[in-house]
Parts: sequence; C-alpha cells; structure tokens
Amino acid sequence: MRAFESEGRRPGGVHRREVLKAAAAAFVAGATNAWAGFAHAPAGHGHSSVVNTRGTAMNSRPLMTVRIAAAPPQKLGAVPHGIRSIVLVTGGDFEGPRLRGKVLPGGGDWLLLRSDGVLELDLRITLETDDHALIYMTFQGVRHGPPDAIAALGRGENVDPANYYFRTLPRFETSAEAYASLNRMVTVGVGEARPAGAVHRIYEVL
Amino acid sequence: MTSRLLMTLQVVVPPPQRLGGVPHGTRVIAAITGGTFDGPRLRGKVLAGGGDWTLSRSDSVLELDLRITLETDDGALISMSSFGLRHGPPEVLAALARGESVDPSTYYFRTAARFEASAQRYEYLNRLIAIAYGDRRASGPIYTVEEIL
Repeated sequence: MRAFESEGRRPGGVHRREVLKAAAAAFVAGATNAWAGFAHAPAGHGHSSVVNTRGTAMNSRPLMTVRIAAAPPQKLGAVPHGIRSIVLVTGGDFEGPRLRGKVLPGGGDWLLLRSDGVLELDLRITLETDDHALIYMTFQGVRHGPPDAIAALGRGENVDPANYYFRTLPRFETSAEAYASLNRMVTVGVGEARPAGAVHRIYEVL
Repeated sequence: MTSRLLMTLQVVVPPPQRLGGVPHGTRVIAAITGGTFDGPRLRGKVLAGGGDWTLSRSDSVLELDLRITLETDDGALISMSSFGLRHGPPEVLAALARGESVDPSTYYFRTAARFEASAQRYEYLNRLIAIAYGDRRASGPIYTVEEIL
C-alpha cells in the first residue's frame, strides 16, 4: 500500500484520492463494476494529462502497481548478445483502482546487460485477481543510469528511482470478460528496483 | 508519467497484401514504400522496404507490428520497430476501411516503439521507450511519437 500511496507525488501522476473518486463515480453511475468505466475514453477528470514543451499531450492514468518478489538471479554470464541473468519470480502482488490480486510463482525476467550498459528486461508472469481471473502479463523494458546509481543497485541498496531510467512496455492477455479491456490497451511501466524485488507503476495510455 | 515529442512520422502505404484468415486472425501486410519523420532532434526519410504486419484478432482489435528503417538528414540509419493496437466503434472502423478521413480521437490507435542506432549522435534512441499516437489516413498512418521520460 505504501508504494501505491506515493504515486500521487510523481510527475504527471494522479492523486490517490482522485483515483478513488473516479472509481466511486463509475460505481455511482450504475456501472456493473468499476471496471466498466475502463474503456478508452478521452482524457477527462481524474486522468493524467501531460502537456510537454512542444505542445503535444500524452494522456495516461494509473492502471496498477505490481510488486514482484524474485529469487536470487541465475547468472549465466557472457552470451553473444551481452551478459545474461535470469530471475525467477516467486510471487508478489498488484493493486490498482480497478484490479488487484497476487502474482503467481513461476514466471521470470530474462535480463540482458548490453554492451552499451543498458539492462534489457524481458518478463513473463501470471497475475491472479482477487476474483480469480488469470491474466498473462509480459513486458520488455530498459534500465540504465549513471554508473554510481547502477553500482548502488547492484549492491542491493535503495536508490531514488528518479536517479535512473527504468521503463517498460507491458502487454496483457486474459479471457475474463471483466478484464477484457487489458487485451486492448497500450501501457507503460515506470520501474523501481528495490532490494526485495522490482516495483512497477503501470499506466494505461489513453 | 511524463513525455516529450520525439518526432512526427508519416509512412506511405500502397494497397496492402490481404492474406485472409490465418490461425491467429486475419492477416494484412502493408509494405511501406517511403515516408518522412520530423522532430526536434531528428528528421529525415523512411526508406522503402519495411512493412506493417497487421493482424485483425477475433476480438476485432487490430494488432500492428511495424518494422522500418529511418534515414536521417545527416545520413544515419535507424531501425524502428513498434507494436500497437487499433480499435474503436464499428462505424468508425468501417469508415477507416473505406479510406475516409476520421477524427483520430474517435478510435484508439496507440503503439509502443523501440529503436536501434549505431551513430553516436542518435545513441539516445537505443535507451528510450516511446509511445506513438496513430492517425490513420488514406495515404498511410501518421504517428506522433513521444519519448517516455
């Protein structure tokens, strides 16, 4: 919960209470569940609307925060594309305004440290919602930053995520009607590497 | 989450190759014969030879799988790949299929893009994640590509 509460202070993030307000409004409006308001509506109240310096806008809203518990990495060493480590996922949880549940054990992240110092992520996990739907989640992403920040992460220290770039492109598959919108959305993850495992704040691109 | 404009990309698409029903959906391949891109930090032309391998899924969502090569005005080659989704109300999609101009805010057309470059001045492209907003025009799509900060 603590990680989720901090979301409101992030640039472009939506305050927690606004998310709750939006979810409550969807409920009051007679939606069968909060998820029903989840289609690709134009950005409006409660959405994050980021106007950049060039005058174009990208709209997003929080989807969920995924916290991943991982086993010690399998260090495969130097392979033709870089240095390969495989991190198996042992569990975790996820929570957002419209879905929550746990990460099932058994997935993993196939990490590749490239020759230019960028760490490539390639993750596959299964989520189980609190109402027992299964969601297959994959992402590819990149992590890089100044050498001192990356070295501190390597030592298992806590590092302010503003000091490095850790972004992912999650995709989802589900057969559950209640979560079918996940099949149709493009999302971006903002990652944070913590000693206990990675935390990903995932935003739906509106 | 914050972003900034990377470029506007327009690709030229001749009539597509309609492969029809395949195991994953309906496959249509759009060869790309050219195009242009323009942004604050890079500009140039799209080389002929790439394509967009689109798949219309059973849930009526169109998956896009694009691979193209960009050539900057200072002679660097950049590989771009993107994966995206397009969907919307049936009447809007029907109008798009007829080649009509449709307000892009009436449908969802978003892609996630990755780049590869060897030129040092474009190395930053190797390290960023980008999202594109698509606008399907009769002559081919126009993408507003945003760097995720």
